[in-house]
Amino acid sequence: MILLSYATAIIIFCIGLYTIMVRRNLFKTVLGLALMESAVLLIIVSSGYIPGGVPPIAPFSGQAVNPLPHAFTLTAIVIGASDIALALAFIVKLHRHYRTVDLDRIRGLRG
Amino acid sequence: MTLVLAIMLPLLSAFLIPFFHLARKTLSAGLISIMGLASISAALAAAYTGWYSPAVSLMGGWAPDIGIALVGDRLSSAFLLLTSIGSGAALACALEKFGGGPWRFYALFFLLLGSMNGILLTGDLFNLFVFYEIFSVAAYLLVAFSMSWQALEAGLKYLVLGTIGALFILLGTAFTFMATGVLNMALLAEALASIPRETLTAISACLVLGLTIKTGAFPVHFWLPDAHSSAQTAVSALLSGVLIKVSIYALMRVCYIFFLGTNGTVFLAITVTGSLSVLGGHLMALRQDDIKRLLAYSTVAQIGYILIGIGCASAAGAAAAVFHAFNHMLMKMGLFITAGNLSEEKGTREICGLTGLWKSHPVWVAVFAVLSAAIVGIPPLNGFMSKWFIILSSAGAGTVIPALVIAAGTVISAAYYLRILSAFISPGEGSSSGLPPSVPRKPRRRSISFAIVGSFALLCLVLGVMAFSPFFRECFSSIGQTAVDVEAYVGLVTGR
Repeated sequence: MILLSYATAIIIFCIGLYTIMVRRNLFKTVLGLALMESAVLLIIVSSGYIPGGVPPIAPFSGQAVNPLPHAFTLTAIVIGASDIALALAFIVKLHRHYRTVDLDRIRGLRG
Repeated sequence: MTLVLAIMLPLLSAFLIPFFHLARKTLSAGLISIMGLASISAALAAAYTGWYSPAVSLMGGWAPDIGIALVGDRLSSAFLLLTSIGSGAALACALEKFGGGPWRFYALFFLLLGSMNGILLTGDLFNLFVFYEIFSVAAYLLVAFSMSWQALEAGLKYLVLGTIGALFILLGTAFTFMATGVLNMALLAEALASIPRETLTAISACLVLGLTIKTGAFPVHFWLPDAHSSAQTAVSALLSGVLIKVSIYALMRVCYIFFLGTNGTVFLAITVTGSLSVLGGHLMALRQDDIKRLLAYSTVAQIGYILIGIGCASAAGAAAAVFHAFNHMLMKMGLFITAGNLSEEKGTREICGLTGLWKSHPVWVAVFAVLSAAIVGIPPLNGFMSKWFIILSSAGAGTVIPALVIAAGTVISAAYYLRILSAFISPGEGSSSGLPPSVPRKPRRRSISFAIVGSFALLCLVLGVMAFSPFFRECFSSIGQTAVDVEAYVGLVTGR
């Protein structure tokens, strides 16, 4: 079960990286970034799982799952959201200038 | 306490600047300078504390295995001194050019300053990632600050590659946490020695790849020339002089603490990347016509030198790398500020258009000549000394190939810096055809910028000569010793 989660995360990570490298559309680049980010977060959240664990909310009995990864995930979500918002803002500005989001028709982004 | 202040004061300034703007509608340059001085002196105080008595402060009093520890030792102090000098100079240039006007610029600047100090002082891997992202977001915005299409494209490119790098760092951090259950770097240094070999390989691959993308070494350098050449002069100087050094520090810290005793392949990979950067950066710089782009590619090559020093995995190599990082900050900031001012005067950044400057701005050209002689590596100057130390330590580490690469790179860099200087000195067509270029635009006075650039050029000479003194060598070798002495670091943080 947890292995499946790890495998999914790695596959999503690779799909994100592939999208960024291959696609020439700026929006797809941003989607790729979002995919990569979600994959890493999935790994972190899964790593806190303990078989048979209960939610770590104050009055609990028995073994709770590790709450630390969830705190990391929240921090990383905020960071990722600001990165992606900034990327989209840049793309909107560039679209106003070029009227396209096709990387091949945007001049300076090479070499 | 001083360690916390070095992070808090710049962040507080960044937070207050928008409020001052809302209340007063204008920001005075005086207020910004006071905030800048306060932040920089806090950083220098932290550097002083770290240098003379290595300090640990535990946030909220939690033990290192649960809470976040800030650690100031000699390596952090050296880099804190570097960033303080560099960001102080960039702030002075920006104040001279913009005055107190663009409050967004200064808010981002202080955010950058605070997060840089955070990276240099933190002793926690996840905290390092968080500060790294604050630092990167501020840097993306500063690159795109002028909102011209080049700047926006450069900012977007920097953002995409920087985020990929950050996600690899986060993945490495996640793997580390899964394998060991702690995130404190000192405790990790002990825990990583006992985890399976395959896990360690995955962790080191993710962390080193992510940090290499962030430093802008050759195979993944695409963002660097665009970002460094499209930004405004003060920002270019800051990016090339200071921001790259912070990434270098992160790479150095993580690799030395985690992989020195466990995974030697990492250092081989760093040496190979460094050698490729030296050759690739210099060869690409040779082909550039835009002066700021040329300087940016030269930065790629200089990062290569520093990486070769780090890749020696010895105290001597680390000391040489820190020395070169320091020298490169002085030289490249000076070169960027000079080139930026001269090309603004002439209204072009093409090297072939920057002619006749020897007549109109002789002192600027003289300073440029000294700084480029230093960066090429003419013997009495600091660039030569640090390259020489890097060559010695890399030869001492067992291979001569990096040393040969450095020698070849020096020849190439001499070729392109001489090309710029010969353009500066040549008489130029503008003045002979009866249209002196200085008539349409009044030459602006840039006394603060000139004072900074001049003192950097002087420092290049002084540091080159001082490298012979035993006291100075003692200082730098103690930095190198601190960098590679993992046991002392662990002892400092855990209190054992």
